[in-house]
Amino acid sequence: MTEPDPVRLDSLEPDDLDGHTIDELADYLDAGMQPADPSIDHSAACQNALAAIVRLRQSSLGSLEAAAEQEAPADESWISGVLANISLEARAGRDVPLRPAAPTERPVMTEGAIRSLVRTAGDAVPDALIARCTLEGDVTELGAPVRIVVEIAVRAGSTIQRVASDIRETVAEVLATETDLLVESVDVVVRDLLPPSDDEPDPDAEEERA
Amino acid sequence: MHHQPLTDLDDAVLAGRSSDGDVRAFEVLIRRHTPLLRAYARRTLGSTDELDDVVQETFITAWNQLDTLQDGARVKAWLMRILSRKCIDRIRARRFHDDVTELEVEAPADDAPERVAEARSREEAVETALAELPEAQRRTWVMKEVLEYSYEAIAEELDLPTSTVRGLLSRARKNMIRLMEGWR
Repeated sequence: MTEPDPVRLDSLEPDDLDGHTIDELADYLDAGMQPADPSIDHSAACQNALAAIVRLRQSSLGSLEAAAEQEAPADESWISGVLANISLEARAGRDVPLRPAAPTERPVMTEGAIRSLVRTAGDAVPDALIARCTLEGDVTELGAPVRIVVEIAVRAGSTIQRVASDIRETVAEVLATETDLLVESVDVVVRDLLPPSDDEPDPDAEEERA
Repeated sequence: MHHQPLTDLDDAVLAGRSSDGDVRAFEVLIRRHTPLLRAYARRTLGSTDELDDVVQETFITAWNQLDTLQDGARVKAWLMRILSRKCIDRIRARRFHDDVTELEVEAPADDAPERVAEARSREEAVETALAELPEAQRRTWVMKEVLEYSYEAIAEELDLPTSTVRGLLSRARKNMIRLMEGWR
């Protein structure tokens, strides 16, 4: 019931490919078919073989994606196991000093903890989510001026200027309350747009709750 | 309304948040990419109970190395490369290449073309054809055609001479083209 294939590539050896090997053809393709080789470009057999390689490449990644769809979603207890095995310390960053209450104390807060404060405060601003937060300046020195760069994603359809200014205020306020950083400026960069909100509450929202 | 789902965020933003230390964002990346990573690991290692471990190790390494990710939008390709190294470590541990010359002459089973011909889609046919390839051929093929490694990089990762990698890929190409010709 299968139709005969018009492309005859029986042996795929140089005898059938006008003197070329299948590997030369694959390398030729990898090089963008440059410099042009007329002995390949004008050979029907080589063109057939090149077409076969291209088809195969196109379906190789596609087949991996298709195979992924056959895999079960990640198991919940397995995910918990992965998360239990990652180390927050790996992402803690620099130690940022706080103003000591007594001369013998040297209290610090990690950069990671400060980013977390910014994230939590910024995510609570309507129509915004924090993408990244960078502390520029020598934060390890108490009283050194620091510039905060906050990258955000904004809900499509909202007023970007209003959201950016809410973020700037909220972040400045939480840092003033919770840290001893000398914040020179809070700069907001819009990195991404969030899909417009629907009136229906998102069923996924529940599992994402902090 | 305040806690918006992070699932709306794209990979680049999630990678940025993860790099900042946000475990919730990283969890979304884990959920999003685990099926693809498992499929890749299954293709490289076969269906073994090592799949869970190797994908877990991949995410732990990724978390520790988030700083090295240049372009967050390419997080998927980056994860696949980390995973591919983990898989290769496993393969090394199995000492698969005891006899290099033997590896090169292995061939698909006689009834492989029939099985490929029965596939219902081109993707399924490729998947079946790949499964029919001898292990060493499949591995080099996937590294070359899916992860876009060079011959030299494959040789280095697999600890094989480049000439052997070329030989394996040559056989893999011919086998794949022949197997796929049977599929319509």
